[in-house]
Amino acid sequence: MKNAEIHETAAAPRFQPERGGRLIRQIAKRYDLYLMLLLPIAWYLLFHYGPLYGLQIAFKNFNPGKGILGSSWVGFEHFQRFFDSYYFWRLLWNTLSINLLSLLIAFPIPILLALLINEIRSKSYSKLLQNITYIPHFISVVVIVGILTVLLSTNGPINMLIQAFGGSEIRFMESAEWFKTIFIGSNIWQNMGWQSIIYIAALSGINPQLYEAAKMDGASRLRRIWHVSLPGIVPVIVILLILDIGQFMNIGFEKILLMQNNLNLEASDVISTFVYTTGILKGEYSYTAAIGLFNSLINLTLLLLVNRFARKTSETSLW
Amino acid sequence: MQKHWRRTAMSAMIIAALTLGGCGSANGGNKEAAPQAAGDQTVSKEGFPIVQEPVQLKMFTRIAPVNGPFKDMPVFQDYEKMSNVQVEFIEAPTDGFDERKNLLFASNELPDVLYRSNITPLEAVRYGAGGQLIPLEDLIKDYAPNLNKLMEEYPEIRASITTPEGHIYTIPGIVTLDSARTDKRWINTAWLEKLNLEVPETLDELYDVLVAFRDQDPNGNGQQDEIPLTSRVVGLPIVTAFSGSFGLDLQFGYNVNIVDDKVEIWMGSERNKELLMYLNKLYAENLLDHEVFSHTEAQYLAKQGSGNTGMFFDQTNNNFLPISDQYTGIAPFEGPHGDRQQSQNAPVPRDQGAFAITSVNKYPEVSMRWIDYFFSDEGSTLLRFGREGEHYELVDGIPTYKPEFSTAETQPKLTPYAGGGAPHLISEYVGSYINPPQVQDAQKALDPYMPKIRYAAPMFDEATAQKVNILRNDIDKYYEEQSTKFIAGALSFDKWDEFQATLKKMNIEELQQIYQDAYDKMAK
Repeated sequence: MKNAEIHETAAAPRFQPERGGRLIRQIAKRYDLYLMLLLPIAWYLLFHYGPLYGLQIAFKNFNPGKGILGSSWVGFEHFQRFFDSYYFWRLLWNTLSINLLSLLIAFPIPILLALLINEIRSKSYSKLLQNITYIPHFISVVVIVGILTVLLSTNGPINMLIQAFGGSEIRFMESAEWFKTIFIGSNIWQNMGWQSIIYIAALSGINPQLYEAAKMDGASRLRRIWHVSLPGIVPVIVILLILDIGQFMNIGFEKILLMQNNLNLEASDVISTFVYTTGILKGEYSYTAAIGLFNSLINLTLLLLVNRFARKTSETSLW
Repeated sequence: MQKHWRRTAMSAMIIAALTLGGCGSANGGNKEAAPQAAGDQTVSKEGFPIVQEPVQLKMFTRIAPVNGPFKDMPVFQDYEKMSNVQVEFIEAPTDGFDERKNLLFASNELPDVLYRSNITPLEAVRYGAGGQLIPLEDLIKDYAPNLNKLMEEYPEIRASITTPEGHIYTIPGIVTLDSARTDKRWINTAWLEKLNLEVPETLDELYDVLVAFRDQDPNGNGQQDEIPLTSRVVGLPIVTAFSGSFGLDLQFGYNVNIVDDKVEIWMGSERNKELLMYLNKLYAENLLDHEVFSHTEAQYLAKQGSGNTGMFFDQTNNNFLPISDQYTGIAPFEGPHGDRQQSQNAPVPRDQGAFAITSVNKYPEVSMRWIDYFFSDEGSTLLRFGREGEHYELVDGIPTYKPEFSTAETQPKLTPYAGGGAPHLISEYVGSYINPPQVQDAQKALDPYMPKIRYAAPMFDEATAQKVNILRNDIDKYYEEQSTKFIAGALSFDKWDEFQATLKKMNIEELQQIYQDAYDKMAK
């Protein structure tokens, strides 16, 4: 009953005076709930909308001594500088390609893992598998990169193995060709278990009668996965995909920064690390604010596109 | 219902006030405290204490991994009693220090003083013009007798810190001791003797020696695990170590040659190609450590201390003290065109931007007097050696650590100079630890090959500094990345023309002209 009311108020159209009055009455009635809402609203205002005010420095020559308002306007100069920069296309290409590859390769794997775990009959075995796969999620990025460096160094175990089989040593961490493979591969290893949790939860919500009915009709295991399990979690998949796209341009900043060196920069130089090294370390706030804004615009565009696409094709979308 | 409403509104306001209040307060109170004569305090122009009533200062400082907390260091404990200035240090570790420093300025949450802060010339001009750092030239005149004396003796100090408008925003660490401005070339003489080899004099001889180090198992363990040659990572020191053998100097703290009043940035020159090709040969044949572009500082120091390295570069022998008798500092190598110079050679004002006073400082005169003491031999001794009798003794009139404070563990806890960059005077008098006989000899090997004159990085006005910054951001990044690839063989020398063309496209000529103008101004 309570739930129904809240839903109704949330969806209420704004311009009906009679209904508006009801809205206020309802808010007053459930004031404790709305009070709780204040904290997240304040959080959003402070940390997400407040900083928008500072965005103007992208169009100014920001000098902290003069403050945001006191600095002089320069229009699109910083954008122009970025678009003309030698690194522009490389940064854009790396940012897009790393994220696109992540999406194509790393996104489906947790789904497969969830389906796999769901099909395991032995409860204890599936729990064990689940635990083992999601434990790496809790290792800090710094440690992960440390592990990678040791494993993949020229005298590390992987190169020893390669040489034992007669191959020649590969300088994994110092080559541009390997960077994306290592980055995405280790991401999958670290996060697939964790990301599969939501899918597993969604799978457990599927009505068991559907499976039984499919079984009666003589559907094989694969058929049951295809016709019952997968359609059951499609809404979750779509929502998670859209959320992932929302983060599209920002993925893995710390990890990329930690893995970066001059020899793999060709493949590892992305917008977010560029913003960090020129903006924060060298104090070029206006220039990097402009780059950051450009980055966010791409992000927003992608999000809108995917959301629209999802709404049209699968009837599930964020809005 | 009315009642409900009121309560809701009240609670909302309280919550909002609490959350907003927490964030708002930090930003206030920065502008109003413009620098002014030190209020009611009288600052004595000489002698101690500096002030009669205790004064508090907040100093933001860098703390190296080897250091302990500054408040436990004898220098700051004793100096506080002596000067009546109570310093509260805000310590930021070396890793991520630049980030912290820039965020201080960006958020305008300034300390009174930045100490050991490595403020770049661009930052000094930018934050000085913005009013966050105060000009120091008048304060230096009136309240810094020791610094004044040094600046008269070494005119390059003033030249390197004065902006075209005549302002000084930062004070550098000053190094009058020659051997503290060079990285010595340490070669493993134990290995040389074992393999019956001479000390290499030319690049070709060096090559042969390194090959012998690699192949003839000088450490005698039956494995080819020796590292013939290695160096630090940041800023391509492997290139600067060899550039003098190809007639490439490092003026202005940059890749610059000055010949007959002509400034040349040599990054795209044929000589530099030869240099990179030589290093590429060393790298390809496993003579140059393959981790030379990726190992951390700690790993590099471990390689020094292991004794398993044929040759490396460092200012002192402090990092390999236990096995220091294995190594000897040698002269630079003669190159294919007869060039032989120690190009890597820091200027007298070595540690730039080591000290600055901000606009929120209520006692600029006190701060200036406070720092000036460390530019005397007496103050520098206190800073570097602590208390006489407790931490050091005079040996032949020169302060020398007692044995228990001269180890790599205890010494950096005693003094803030360990880890580099502290604003003070490094003279021969206080150099016993960093300039023991072995290091003196290593410096003597370099002495005949030192450049005649060494210009420090010039100060530009704000607009030029910004232009230089924009140019160098792209150029330096490109140069470092491509050089690394040339050396590591990830990029073939067929692409040299393309490399030159790109440098040109990045307007390296404009940059060269800016440096030329700076030089012309300086020469006048």
